[in-house]
Amino acid sequence: MSRRPGQILVGGELPELSAIEVDFVVVGSGAGGAAAAAVLAEAGAKVAVLEEGGHYTRADFNMQEAWAYPALYQEHGNRATEDLAIMILQGRSVGGGTTINWTSSFRTPERTLALWSERHGVRGLDAATLAPHFAAVEARLDVGPGNPDDVNNNNRKLWVGAEKLGWGPELIRRSVKGCARLGYCGMGCPLDAKRSSRTTYLADALAAGADLYTDCRVKLLQTDRRRARSVAADVLDRETDRPRGRLVAHARRGIILACGAINTPALLLRSKVGTGSGVVGKRTFIHPSVPLVAFYDEPIEGFYGPPQSVSVHHFADRGARVGYFLETSPVHPMLGALAVPGFGDSHRKIGERLPYVQATIALLVDGHHDDEGGSVAVSGDGRIRLRYPISAPLEEAAKDALANMARIQLAAGAREVMTLHETPLVIRSEADIARIADAPFGPNRHTMFSAHQMGGCPMGEDPSRSVVDARGRHHEFDNLWIADGSVFPTALGVNPQLSIYAHARLFATEIARALGPRPAG
Amino acid sequence: MTEDPKLDRRRFLKRGVVGGALLLLAGAVPLALRSTLRRRAPGGPLRLLDEDEYAVFAAAAARLAPGPGAGPRWPTAEALDCAGKTDALMARVHPDVGHDFKRLLRLFESGLVGALVAGSPRPFTRATPEEQDARLEAWRRSRIALFRSGYQALKRLAHATYYSSPEVYPLIGYPGPPEVPALPGTPEAKEPG
Repeated sequence: MSRRPGQILVGGELPELSAIEVDFVVVGSGAGGAAAAAVLAEAGAKVAVLEEGGHYTRADFNMQEAWAYPALYQEHGNRATEDLAIMILQGRSVGGGTTINWTSSFRTPERTLALWSERHGVRGLDAATLAPHFAAVEARLDVGPGNPDDVNNNNRKLWVGAEKLGWGPELIRRSVKGCARLGYCGMGCPLDAKRSSRTTYLADALAAGADLYTDCRVKLLQTDRRRARSVAADVLDRETDRPRGRLVAHARRGIILACGAINTPALLLRSKVGTGSGVVGKRTFIHPSVPLVAFYDEPIEGFYGPPQSVSVHHFADRGARVGYFLETSPVHPMLGALAVPGFGDSHRKIGERLPYVQATIALLVDGHHDDEGGSVAVSGDGRIRLRYPISAPLEEAAKDALANMARIQLAAGAREVMTLHETPLVIRSEADIARIADAPFGPNRHTMFSAHQMGGCPMGEDPSRSVVDARGRHHEFDNLWIADGSVFPTALGVNPQLSIYAHARLFATEIARALGPRPAG
Repeated sequence: MTEDPKLDRRRFLKRGVVGGALLLLAGAVPLALRSTLRRRAPGGPLRLLDEDEYAVFAAAAARLAPGPGAGPRWPTAEALDCAGKTDALMARVHPDVGHDFKRLLRLFESGLVGALVAGSPRPFTRATPEEQDARLEAWRRSRIALFRSGYQALKRLAHATYYSSPEVYPLIGYPGPPEVPALPGTPEAKEPG
């Protein structure tokens, strides 16, 4: 079959009012949307992908934070919990999170899948079911084995310290090919060495005839009885980010929502459809992340080299207590300045040590115990409100993580370690570590961020406790699917990109199978 | 920035007399900023803020960024136009977030709020540098969540615009982005379309 390749239709060039009709409307072009679009388009369906953000290519990726965060991140880099206590790093451009993620690639842990089966009523979804989809995605994204040559100084300190303490550091598999180890994955790869969805599944979808509409913010989902009919989008002016037109996309066969774990629940809530379970936007999980910095006598230059190449999962399962895993964060000027507390000259004096800073992060595995995570709500004006209280079990995990991250850096030879409390603790020995337990910890008392958003539209068999089934189909509609991180009933315990791809590919493959034979010609 | 003064106000009212009284006063006083000191006109047309709000943010950014003690090599927040860049950025966020940001600046400028929170009755733009730092510290360490959130909004915007400026890179030992090599092994990515 040869099909005319699809087109990229930029919002700024669309008429003021437009309407399209296709087989499948896919909302979002990140890992989930791109994988679903590729599978469906290659099965012969006519697909339209609608993306809120702009279309940028490697020529645009100038490695400058001042450009990248406003252009490539949700809310122009300002997304946060409503109390501003947790900064939310989440992608918003063609490619979604895959354009700005740090390439870390993990399969969904089997213990997480078991938890979903045992406690969240997810049936028919195990490692064997997902395995062929992970294999296909890993091949398409060029996910290779962990490579010691990827380990920059920032990651090496995590490796060395964790190894000395017997905590089993591991190399991270990365979704790259021809990586020059520049260190700017979070600002878009200027070489396209990172295998983002834009350069892989979205390209496949377009080659198979899918059309991509950029700068289209889907605001409403329209349904009729048990059928999803269409979506209505504001077409945005790229300069002002304000609506300049409207696009209505009608779906003959189905709609796939893949806007991410904050925007997908918000779309359902705003549309007032598919919320009958009462759990849409509840149990939002974000791997709340607690950073710690260490200072070395020798240059670390954490701004260069692959951002993440080493992880420590020794503390991921702490029994009855909330677990966490350790990775690193790149150390660029703006990101570093945001993370470091204080202002004026005291803040500057820390900034002047930038080349000597090592940054480790602890990602708390939320949702695996009795913690309910956060929530997504939508105001009458359409504004999204993310709430995420730090419960006592999470605080305990954060403090334990700070102590162990400090131990790792001291073992690796750090001159001193500094917490990011508003009054930072400087730690030079094991004796200092005890002070962490008593330091104030709470909203805007300590730097926290999240780069992983999950939950809010969980999978499960019980329509009163879940939103979609274990193949992503909405319980209330026969032709509405969700294919993003919002379907995960808990946090994963690993970086979610690969899992989102694999789940979306599984869901779309089952949808395509139901379409019947591929049309000829 | 996503703080919500209305919601936080409700929380304060539940939290006790001090917080509640403070917010009632803040809500009752006119925050028209008639007394705001405009040190310097914006470099270009403003998109979200008015000139008073711009002056408040510029004054806050001047203290949040490195001060004169840093030495002459360090640019000021004014030289890097942190306030102008913040205005441009916040003009693109959700209109209600922008509205809240404007309200935050008015609350932060208020002499009455300053008197209650930090014992400094002057509008922020007319306070001495020491008083301004004390005001920022009081918001930063406040037991009232709204003020801590407000401080973080100001701090992050000032630091984001300041430290992402290439003029600052050499001062913090950052060589800047590297040259992008032309690698023979780099795959030609398939561009959509």
